[in-house]
Amino acid sequence: MKKYLTIIKTYWQRGLTYRFTILAYRAGEMAEAVVLVLMWTAIYSDQNVIKGFTLPEMITYFLIGNLFSAATRNFLPGLMSRDIKDGGLSMFLLRPMSYFNFILSREIGRISFVTALSLVTNGLIILFFLNYFIFNFDIPYLLLIAIMISLAFIIELLISYIVGLVAFWTDEVDGLHSTFDKLKKLFSGGYFPISILPAIFVNVSYALPFAYSFFVPAQLYLKKIDLMAGARGIFVQIVWIIALYAISNWIWKKGLRRYEGVGI
Amino acid sequence: MPIIEVKNLSKSYEYYRQESGLMGAVKSFFARETLYAEAVKGINFSIEEGELVGFLGPNGAGKTTTLKMLSGILYPTSGDARVLGFKPTDRKKEYQRQFALVMGQKNQLVADLPAMESFILNKEIYEVSDNDFKKTLNELVDVLDIGNILDIQTRKLSLGQRMKCELAAALIHSPKVLFLDEPTIGLDVVAQKNIRDFLKRYNKEKKTTIILTSHYMEDIKDLCRRVIIINLGKVIYDGAIDELIKKHAPYKLLKITFDENGIRRDQVEKYGEVLEFSSYRAVIKVARGDAKKVAIALLSSPLPVDDILIDEVDIDDVIRKVFGK
Repeated sequence: MKKYLTIIKTYWQRGLTYRFTILAYRAGEMAEAVVLVLMWTAIYSDQNVIKGFTLPEMITYFLIGNLFSAATRNFLPGLMSRDIKDGGLSMFLLRPMSYFNFILSREIGRISFVTALSLVTNGLIILFFLNYFIFNFDIPYLLLIAIMISLAFIIELLISYIVGLVAFWTDEVDGLHSTFDKLKKLFSGGYFPISILPAIFVNVSYALPFAYSFFVPAQLYLKKIDLMAGARGIFVQIVWIIALYAISNWIWKKGLRRYEGVGI
Repeated sequence: MPIIEVKNLSKSYEYYRQESGLMGAVKSFFARETLYAEAVKGINFSIEEGELVGFLGPNGAGKTTTLKMLSGILYPTSGDARVLGFKPTDRKKEYQRQFALVMGQKNQLVADLPAMESFILNKEIYEVSDNDFKKTLNELVDVLDIGNILDIQTRKLSLGQRMKCELAAALIHSPKVLFLDEPTIGLDVVAQKNIRDFLKRYNKEKKTTIILTSHYMEDIKDLCRRVIIINLGKVIYDGAIDELIKKHAPYKLLKITFDENGIRRDQVEKYGEVLEFSSYRAVIKVARGDAKKVAIALLSSPLPVDDILIDEVDIDDVIRKVFGK
């Protein structure tokens, strides 16, 4: 366990090296949130309820959802494809530790500070729009949300890992990653609450892992779905984690045989 | 029992060709023909514990590919390699804790952090105890003389300093087998010498088995008694450096200096092939067995000989000759 903590600590330190980048990202994050709130306020100017959402509900949905998605995201594919394409992976293959364990610890170390800061900025935005924000202090709900977000973090890591592994075949994965990100945002309800779409779409989303990093926990927070539905979601997440882990293992073994360790 | 054993090891890479220009790029976007390049073609060798062996060969000969297969980075296309009794591609932890690979052109240190952080990281990954870590690190810091740069971001270090830190990082877990891929590449003469001296001492004191590749003959001459020469994926020589010279250079060089008024070229031409000539200095190539005889003849001739040095041919020339075949 100590080695994982050391890796997390080391890369946390590395993350702190570039203060400017970290702060610069936060500015964009804030601006995006403000634009979102302004847009929905304009849409609601001549109606009170859209597809069951009041304006405060809609704004709360996005503000809390952004908080969740900030807590679950990672930047693994870019790093991994670079490791694979430029041969940096070689250095990891030598060490008595699996690449999977290493980069997962490294990613947690890399993003923990950024995520913490991002949570702070998202929190500040909530303070800014306090008039519209709906609070929920129901402990069982918050607990369930916390579990769901933790599992969503693991799922996102596994998906990113698999996308990154595709670099064994294609060298670069930026295109795939970007497409995946957009699909993820759509199915997770990051563009708009998926419940405004036809029921079939919503049902498909429940079976996919993406909705559990935004839509489902946000709906739970707004108490638009009950604890039972939330618990079912946790079950779906666990099934996905097992499946994704197995898939990633299989792809890793296949891909490694193609690895050329170039650039040396 | 040999510590490294390689039997009929081969590796081929996949690649494709692309015509130059935009049209070529567009064409290869839609259709590419996969080609295969054989980097290593059925090589064999074995290495005993404590040996320091030099891997020689021009660019693209297959040296690095071989080292990568021995480290378990690459799967061989065919053939078999064993190091310390392990099959490298199994990537067993017991094996990985006992060897290290240092590549002159690739770093394992975290560029944005001081070297010390990377050492600590390796300590944990290789599960080195606190005591062993302290002891090994002190030794390495002392011998490599890196005590005053451990707290500087690695990317701010000079190449020579960085290479020393890379070596230290790779040796934190006291490996039994060490693969060095051009550890002195790009370094200045002094830094090269530092690294060489360190390796020589390390090999002697720790009995570490070392395979070293290098383009610099100085490295090989200075460090290795045995060389394996690879060209176009095949082993073309495996044996002692001295033997190589004897076998492929059946002649010696007489380096003669003259005083007084100097001499004319035709005066020395009858003694052997003249390689270099000026009025006061000549280098003559003579058959290995005739060297003494010719030297005596020169000394007893009326030529104003000041000094004669009987020397081996330069190893570079020998190697060039071997590759040229």
